[in-house]
Amino acid sequence: MSKIYIVEDDKSIREELAELLRNSGYEAECLTDFSNSKADILSAHPDLILMDINIPNLNGEQLLKEIRKESDIPVIMVTSRTSETDEVLSMSYGADDYITKPYNPTILLLRISAVLKRAAGNTSVQSYNGLQVNDAKGSLTDGSRDVILTKNEMIIFRLMLDRKGSIVTRDDLMTALWDNDEFVNDNALTVNISRLRSKLAELGCNDAIETRKKQGYVLK
Amino acid sequence: MKLGNYLRDRLWYYLIAAAALGLMLLFLAAYRVSGQLIIFITSIYLISVFFEELTGYLRKRQFYAELHQKLDELDQKYLIHEMINKPDFLEGEILYNALCDANKSMCEKVAEHKRRSDDFRDFIEMWVHEVKLPVASLQLMAHNHRDELGEKFTEQLRRIDDYTDQVLYYARSKNAEKDYIIKETSLKRAVANVAIKNREAAQLAGASIETEGLDITVMTDGKWLEFILGQFMANSLKYTVEGREPVIHISAEKLEDRVLLHFRDNGIGIPESDIPRVFDKSFTGENGHTYAKSTGMGLYIVKNLCDRLGHGISAASERGSFTELTIAFAKNDHYLI
Repeated sequence: MSKIYIVEDDKSIREELAELLRNSGYEAECLTDFSNSKADILSAHPDLILMDINIPNLNGEQLLKEIRKESDIPVIMVTSRTSETDEVLSMSYGADDYITKPYNPTILLLRISAVLKRAAGNTSVQSYNGLQVNDAKGSLTDGSRDVILTKNEMIIFRLMLDRKGSIVTRDDLMTALWDNDEFVNDNALTVNISRLRSKLAELGCNDAIETRKKQGYVLK
Repeated sequence: MKLGNYLRDRLWYYLIAAAALGLMLLFLAAYRVSGQLIIFITSIYLISVFFEELTGYLRKRQFYAELHQKLDELDQKYLIHEMINKPDFLEGEILYNALCDANKSMCEKVAEHKRRSDDFRDFIEMWVHEVKLPVASLQLMAHNHRDELGEKFTEQLRRIDDYTDQVLYYARSKNAEKDYIIKETSLKRAVANVAIKNREAAQLAGASIETEGLDITVMTDGKWLEFILGQFMANSLKYTVEGREPVIHISAEKLEDRVLLHFRDNGIGIPESDIPRVFDKSFTGENGHTYAKSTGMGLYIVKNLCDRLGHGISAASERGSFTELTIAFAKNDHYLI
């Protein structure tokens, strides 16, 4: 379980954020006393830091600079300031990503998992039920047969595969598609899922994707 | 200063001078002074009056001609006293000193207003950032308690966020200070950020977005551009045709000296007579009255921002079929390092 450290001075956001992360299967720890931020953060040994720019004492950018002197823990900067300066500055100080408040929680989770994956050296699942996922070719293969997936189908399949056995909501799927520059509507998602189903059936995986009414889909 | 006007202005003086001369001649005649002497005295008197008037006229004419000329050339006319030389005659000096005093008081007034508007702007900027905290908090709550609150709740939060951004960018567009950074910005990334931000709204409207040729970078401020595209997006999602699946088509076109970004929807369009005024302040037009209430501020702020960034913007539309907004980014090598 990855441990995420929340550096945020707004109590309400901090608590909701911790709840969001815990619900999504992360361990969340918060900084509540900002007098000795750097030492407190580093001694907690988190896997990722969510850092607000506007915090008491040392601001987020300076804190990031200090942390970078000693550690290369992944850091996502979060801010309510919408100016290009902050983004440029944060990235140059070594932030891994930058998100503006108010953020879409699903996007935040996607970004967190992307940054964690990058830091771990991409260890995503490469096989499903005897099928190999070939990202370079964008295809699924069972050794003898090769089925090409479209970009959308691959995005959907990847997300479901990463969360195999648990429910993936339509909202999650939509967010993942939109985050990959595929701005489709609801109808297109339905079509994509049914195409993915028939392609999986072609490879001998019948009923691989189960529909949960009003909740989403589960890859069995 | 015309000679005729000057002479008319001096009429009383001439009358008095003439009366004095007449009186003098009368006395001279009464004392039986010789005719030659009378002519001599009269000539000296007239010549002295003539030269005195001539030098007076020339001194004033030089000062006033300079004043008029500088006043015509000046863009900010209240700075006139800085531009003229201090005159060497009394009336001019009085005027000059009065101008200095008036200007000083004007500058104080201007400075006071500038300070007030800066204060107000700072407050707005701070306020917007503060109000984003509860919005962010609510958004997280909505997500954590999705079952009770759901997407409609999130959508309303997005509207609040949208309106607060309008205030922020209105304040920014009106400020004389340069608070943007022009740098190479990827159109693809800007469009993606805007799309993601409006995903819930787009989904509620059943809209899809198509993109084409966005792998181009332009010289602009990324955040400002995202705000601009966000306004386009909000309009496109607001003015849709009932029963037609909304499609937003965003494409970029590379020309020799500029890059054009087209933002086209298949919505209700804008009546032809309204098109020239869509960027005017508070202009709501027919659509604003008939369909959804609008403030008429969105595109006005957009136009201001484009002006400040040096981008061109234009609108085209056909009633009932489409609206297309185009931003022109200059390929300005001047900005490149």
